[in-house]
Amino acid sequence: MMLVLAICFLSFSIVFSEEKRIEGEISAIGSYIGVDADGGGEAKFTEYKDLREHGGLYGRIRLKYDTEKYFLHFRASDIAYDTQSYKLEGGMWGKFKYNLFYQGIPHNITFDARTFFVGAGSNILAGVPNTNVASWNTFDYSFERRQYGAGMALHMIKPFFFNVSFEREEREGIKPTGVAGTSPGGIGIELPEPVDYLTNNLKLETGYAKNPLFLSFMYFYSGFNNSNTVLHFRNPATGAQDIFSLPPDNTYHKGAFKGAVKLPFQSRLSTNIGFSKGESETTAFPLSLDPITGRTGFDGEVKTLNYDIILTSNPLPFLNAKVFHKYYKRDNNSDIVPGIVEHFLDYKVRQYGAEVGFKLPSRFFLNGGYQHVRTEREFIKAFQDPSLVLPFNRDNIYFAELRWSGLDFMDLRIGYEKLDREAKERTPQADALPNKMFAYDGQDRDTVKASVDFFPMESLNFGFEYRHKRAEYDAAFGLKKDQRDEFATNVTYAFGKKAKFYGNIDFAWITFHPDLVRTQAADDFPWKAKQKDNTFGYGVGTEIYAIPQKLTFVFQHDFLRSNGNIDFTIHPALLIAGNGLGGANNETVDIMRSEDYTLYSFKFKTIYHLTKSLIASIGYAYERFSYRDDQLDNYQFVNPPGGPVAGTNGAFLTGAYRDQSYKAHLIFGGLTYKF
Amino acid sequence: MSVAHPDCREVENMKRRGLVLFSILFVFTLILIVQNNVKGDSQYVGSEACKGCHEDQYRSYAKSAHAKKAISGSPANREGCESCHGPGAQHVEKGGVKGVSIFTFERKGDSKAKSSKCLACHEESKHLTSWDISKHKSTGVSCDNCHSIHGGTDKPLKAKEPDLCYSCHKYIRTQQNKQSHHPVKEGRITCSSCHEVHGGFGPRMVKADSVNDLCYKCHAEKRGPYAFEHPPVQENCLTCHEVHGSNHTKLLVRKVPFLCQSCHTRTGHPSRPATNFHSFGGPATSQKNRFFARSCLNCHGNIHGSSRSPGFDR
Repeated sequence: MMLVLAICFLSFSIVFSEEKRIEGEISAIGSYIGVDADGGGEAKFTEYKDLREHGGLYGRIRLKYDTEKYFLHFRASDIAYDTQSYKLEGGMWGKFKYNLFYQGIPHNITFDARTFFVGAGSNILAGVPNTNVASWNTFDYSFERRQYGAGMALHMIKPFFFNVSFEREEREGIKPTGVAGTSPGGIGIELPEPVDYLTNNLKLETGYAKNPLFLSFMYFYSGFNNSNTVLHFRNPATGAQDIFSLPPDNTYHKGAFKGAVKLPFQSRLSTNIGFSKGESETTAFPLSLDPITGRTGFDGEVKTLNYDIILTSNPLPFLNAKVFHKYYKRDNNSDIVPGIVEHFLDYKVRQYGAEVGFKLPSRFFLNGGYQHVRTEREFIKAFQDPSLVLPFNRDNIYFAELRWSGLDFMDLRIGYEKLDREAKERTPQADALPNKMFAYDGQDRDTVKASVDFFPMESLNFGFEYRHKRAEYDAAFGLKKDQRDEFATNVTYAFGKKAKFYGNIDFAWITFHPDLVRTQAADDFPWKAKQKDNTFGYGVGTEIYAIPQKLTFVFQHDFLRSNGNIDFTIHPALLIAGNGLGGANNETVDIMRSEDYTLYSFKFKTIYHLTKSLIASIGYAYERFSYRDDQLDNYQFVNPPGGPVAGTNGAFLTGAYRDQSYKAHLIFGGLTYKF
Repeated sequence: MSVAHPDCREVENMKRRGLVLFSILFVFTLILIVQNNVKGDSQYVGSEACKGCHEDQYRSYAKSAHAKKAISGSPANREGCESCHGPGAQHVEKGGVKGVSIFTFERKGDSKAKSSKCLACHEESKHLTSWDISKHKSTGVSCDNCHSIHGGTDKPLKAKEPDLCYSCHKYIRTQQNKQSHHPVKEGRITCSSCHEVHGGFGPRMVKADSVNDLCYKCHAEKRGPYAFEHPPVQENCLTCHEVHGSNHTKLLVRKVPFLCQSCHTRTGHPSRPATNFHSFGGPATSQKNRFFARSCLNCHGNIHGSSRSPGFDR
């Protein structure tokens, strides 16, 4: 971090010798925070933030230096906090530019999680399981990304160009995972999984860009390293040492060529060809997997190949057209280990289509098109279970959009898209299987979008947007239909130079229509679950310029509520103790709180210009988040409390995602110096 | 001594007249051509003239990259303001009335005409090579919908992301406000972190050839390849995840176990209903862990792929 700052200031000192045209601002904001929440709520409030208990002092710097030849921009925010970010961009106009950056992104999931294990955060979990939760060790489910890198672009070699960028990300922390004590029918054991990842990405690109020709060659490399390949733990169900595999190290290479050439009649032919190879290596594999070689490792390899050819044309002023062909192929060439590892997914996707757009009289614009997509999958490599072969899909997609801007104060847009998917089972055995999966089976999907934007005056604009999406699946079981309706508005109004108002109202209704699930063939009874999510939100805000360029009041209020529920219809034969449904009926089994939450916040702020350069601000913010979910309410770390017993499907848990509600007060004040 | 025949003299006279006529025509044409060129130059009034009435716009232009002479072909090396707005002489003569005899980037203007002003210089930039194939272009978005050389932020955008994008993509704002979301509104990533806003070959203008390739740039631990694959994961992350925002934890499309039961039916315990009776507060004493806490993920932690177990529970 100090090195980055030093480079930044060194850059500035070099160019300071030029004529002085530096501007910017420096801010310091102090805050006091009071949070009323349990560990889960505190983590939710600070999910992507670093707000220290009782507050802190946050610094921000913006510097901009521009001359006729050079430019240098520097931005820093949340200095010394987990969310700190720094960016330096500079260069010579028309010759080259470079950038250096650093950014921290925390992700807080749950604080004060608990486990009887010792060593949470490491890859060795020791400890004897017990049901005395009060004696368990506490830790936080939280991890942080630290991203930094640099890049450079050369323009001086025009019409040739060259870009290079490098980015590194370090990720550390703990996240929740789960393992089965025994399988099948065993207890669940929630484990703290260590996160200690390092990802390096390098991108090189060079090419030529001068009409009528564009050519570019790109190479991308990504290397992922996990400091831990396995998580060792003592299995409370068996009492024995056990292993949970963690993401393996992998590398990824990609090469791509892009080209485009201008043709007569305002046409352009564009093409993209890419190939990649991803490899992984793990030694977490079961021992004695290969009886011949005794190999205990696994080498994975996946290759992809893709190309796109697109011809666009605007031969007449009122007509534009596009035809395209796209291809994407994935081949998994990983180790096949007879009897152990034989299920790999290869697939090919071919698309071709056309679009046409017309400029009609009275400021109507009509766009329409058709696309055909063929997806072919190979799921089994080494042995053929003809009933498990995934189907091919044929998609026909049609779309049309009409825009009208015939009135000076209004734009109207209506669009429709239809997807008609056909699934071709590739074996009679697969065709005969009743439990086809919605993701692969036939589908009928309609999407309608409509939007209207009004701008009757310079100072006033408001708009509405509505989207309806409905999909019906041919699969006999599982997801049958889902429907989404989303409606959003926004408005902005400037009341002269006195004030500005803005607001939005949003609705969303999402329904997953009755799934039809049949229990396994042994008993074969049907049941359904209809899931609904309804979301409503609004936001209003205003800036009042009480004394123009001297005193401003800011007020903002946001509200968001979501209600979810799941309505079951279960065959009476399933309402038995053996299924945990002894004494149940179709009313008592429904889930009434499915991730229900309400988010309410408001903020007041006063901004006062002490001088032209010095600005003071003071404010207060309040935020309340109430979260209820039947899956997490009345949380128990051990289930049943006396200890999990075989056959009861109990669990040892750590508290991930529980108690996410919070209330928070924030008082803040700051000074900004502009120059 | 020979005397020219009268007929020959007439022919010669005709030739002479023809030559004179041709010369006159030639000179006249030359004058016309030169005059047009001279007339074209005189249509530009210079940026200082524009500054007289449009001081704010001039100041913002002067601060921008367009005013840098170091950039070859920039408006500063050409006609200044008039490089984009066209010759201003007639506009000045007519009293400088808004929109009269001058090109303005007004909202109702033809999007192609407005974009062509920018593309005249920027078309050869590698960022705009795919503009022709972009969805933005085919839906009538023009450069000035997002960019303004006169004020705004860096790049120079009329507003910061994501507010700029929300002005058209309103329902995306609705999704990103939901409780489970990428850190867009926290300012950690932006719309352009994932989307190639000027056009690209990827689906929905993403910065990769497939959705999964895009996700793996930040979530490299999911890339594998794993010994035991979960096919919908390897094929498309969006089978299970709602990328812009969801009411369900981990950006899931549906709540677990119902998400899993969308596909896993008719086999063993996945086909059993997981109801309120199976929650922490419910009376069930068996099969309870199928609904409480993280449900299926209580046991199947390696849902994106595993190096040890085809059931993803190791």
